[in-house]
Amino acid sequence: MKKLLVVITVLLLAVLALSACGGKATPTQAPAAEKPAAEQPKAEQPKAEQPKAEEPTAAPTQAPPAEKVTLRVWTHQNNAFNEGYQALADKYMADHPNVEITFETFDYDAYIQTLQTAMPAGTEADVLQMFGSWVCSYAEGGNLDVVPESVITLDDAQAKIMAAPIGGYICDDKLYGIPQEFNIEYGAVLVNTQLADEKGATGYKDGWADWDEFIQDAKKLVETQDGVMTRAGFNFTAADGIATMFHSLILQYGGQYLQDGQYKVTTPEGQKTLALMKRFIDEGLVDPVLFNDEENWVGDSYFEGTSAIGLVGPWVIPEYSGDYPDMVKVTQYVRLPSVGEEPLFAAASGWGLTVSANSKVKDVAWDFVKFVTLNADNATEWNLASGTLPALKDNVSGDNAKKLVEQFPYFEPFLDLLQYGRFEGHFPDRDFVWYEVTYPEVLNFLQGNATADETLKTIEDAVNGSF
Amino acid sequence: MSPSPPQPRGLFSGRDRSIKIFLAVTVVPLVLYMAFWTLFPLIWGFALAFFEYSPRRAGGPILGLGGANPYVGLAHFQAMLNFSSDAPKHVRQFHTALKVTIIFAMLVVPLNLSITLPLAVLIESIHQRLKPLFRTTFFLPVLAPAVGVAIMWGFIFHPQRGLLNAILGKLAGHLVAINWLGDPKLTVFGIPVALFAVIVAYIWQDMGYNLVIFIAALQSIPPNLKEAARIDGANAWQMFWKITIPLLMPTILLASVLTMISAFQVFDIIQVMTDGGPRGQTQVLLLHIYNYAFRYQKMGWAAAVALVFFVLVLVISIIQSRFLRTQWEY
Repeated sequence: MKKLLVVITVLLLAVLALSACGGKATPTQAPAAEKPAAEQPKAEQPKAEQPKAEEPTAAPTQAPPAEKVTLRVWTHQNNAFNEGYQALADKYMADHPNVEITFETFDYDAYIQTLQTAMPAGTEADVLQMFGSWVCSYAEGGNLDVVPESVITLDDAQAKIMAAPIGGYICDDKLYGIPQEFNIEYGAVLVNTQLADEKGATGYKDGWADWDEFIQDAKKLVETQDGVMTRAGFNFTAADGIATMFHSLILQYGGQYLQDGQYKVTTPEGQKTLALMKRFIDEGLVDPVLFNDEENWVGDSYFEGTSAIGLVGPWVIPEYSGDYPDMVKVTQYVRLPSVGEEPLFAAASGWGLTVSANSKVKDVAWDFVKFVTLNADNATEWNLASGTLPALKDNVSGDNAKKLVEQFPYFEPFLDLLQYGRFEGHFPDRDFVWYEVTYPEVLNFLQGNATADETLKTIEDAVNGSF
Repeated sequence: MSPSPPQPRGLFSGRDRSIKIFLAVTVVPLVLYMAFWTLFPLIWGFALAFFEYSPRRAGGPILGLGGANPYVGLAHFQAMLNFSSDAPKHVRQFHTALKVTIIFAMLVVPLNLSITLPLAVLIESIHQRLKPLFRTTFFLPVLAPAVGVAIMWGFIFHPQRGLLNAILGKLAGHLVAINWLGDPKLTVFGIPVALFAVIVAYIWQDMGYNLVIFIAALQSIPPNLKEAARIDGANAWQMFWKITIPLLMPTILLASVLTMISAFQVFDIIQVMTDGGPRGQTQVLLLHIYNYAFRYQKMGWAAAVALVFFVLVLVISIIQSRFLRTQWEY
């Protein structure tokens, strides 16, 4: 019996050892990949150093590898996004018959967790869709490949791509991926034009010259019953709205919330920002207890008719157009007034593509990424399919911009705004700063539970504590 | 005649060879399964509690530990003991989550038992034919997915479109828009109303289990004991307190331990209904662990909190079982 126990113990230890070594499996050995790694040409095995610009292997579009290559791509589940990827992958595979691109998609939350668990194990795909604000934390961990200079140099990337989206992909002066979209949550607002016309709040037609005009119009759109707000005039109190407005207004007032590696908002600009945000509450434009991220979230609330003006990015239009087609027809995006000379705003980079440091087919992976992101027509095709704003400067104006506006007229006010976007900055954990610190603390202030001084200090201490 | 020398015995030789083979075939896969899916994650979780580990960082060569994911010893546990007002946000959130979890469990256990035990007695007292109907009715919410239950109760508590406010509005004769789940100022005896709201939803879904347990226990009480009491002139109330409750003590202990462990593990209902809000008033420990492990990538901290959570549940379960231990047998 003792021997049996010994056998079981040995097996147990073997399993533990094997499970610890499990992470060494190559990505192409994962079940979703159909072609084994052994089929990859030796020349494409991973190298620690990046290929130099003049090396011919770095330009597979000109000399595609003859042997069959399977490229695994991971994305989060968003039908519009993934249809756009599939169309471009089909096009790429038609040009490169030896390359087979397989997509594996994950629910958003599951995707984050899968990336976190797969990367230490080395089982992630070759090409990884990433949101810009995540990139540096993965890059600093050594999980992402630096963009080869043959694909694009850092200087060229900064020249070709809008500052806010590319900002998320630059870590310690190295480029770790290429953005495809400009994520924007501030600068323009959804306006229910039918309601605004009915109530005589017509300032939106020529654009509001200043906040006084805006407040005047928004007040006309508020509805209350028995002292309870049943329709908000200006719903800005969701998590993204509060966090981006807070940081954007600080920029517009001439402040900088990131200074010398420290987060600083206990400043006159921080005070002015909170004062303006509180003014919206005091003027009765929104009740922050009834309208926030948990209740009457701005997208739902606007399209259900309980908010007349809503602060949220243009991505909500395709999201809600199926269920609220009539509301979409009367909706217009209108630029918000600025408190500074320029309508600066903080932006959280955008979705884009990166390549795993563990990939055994980096050359092909980068070639595909280049094909999708840096070719202006392909990039536009993806923006059109996904309903997103362009990251490429070439596509912010000109024919491709016209195409976008034709298909998505609500993009028009944003295209002029994009030049004022500033990357929100690198935080060890941006979501923590946005959703766990800024949003709840500012909401608490707007609900009247804390002073401006207390709020700014709490935010500043909490954010600096996370560095 | 000299005895034959003992034969060397192989692992699967001897009289009980077939038993050994049977054991090996049946037990080894189970042991391996447990080792892989239970033991290894447990050891891994325990180890992480002593590192500043984030899965986003590559770290050292052994399972990513060390290097960019440094060993910090007991630093996480020391941080948990920092009760000063300038403690880091995650530490203060841990204190809040610990307090909320304990309040939640301490409210859920007595509330659940005080509803399910009398209800079980009532169901047991009705006509035989109607019993299955009531048992099924009260057990049905257990079968409903927790997320669905959370969404349904979220609608009931919605400030503008919610059923609860609609009823209150009808009674009051004017519009009522109380934000049960989102107003941080709403409290009763210092306990947030949002916490009461999620407790209502939680008990509604969870009480079916205890109900079934109590009904089974009530059916196992020998009828002659009650008969004897009745002959001695005991009324229904006296029989309930003097016979039913004492004889049910082992079951009450079991139900309270199970309910408490389950209450400590509450997650999905709270995540969907409030996501820990307003202002952390419903932030329980599991939600805190989940947020720091998977949203903020502080897995070392999350593992340390999970370890504390495990010890907490263990200690309270032991105390509870000692406190409610009974010598009754029947």
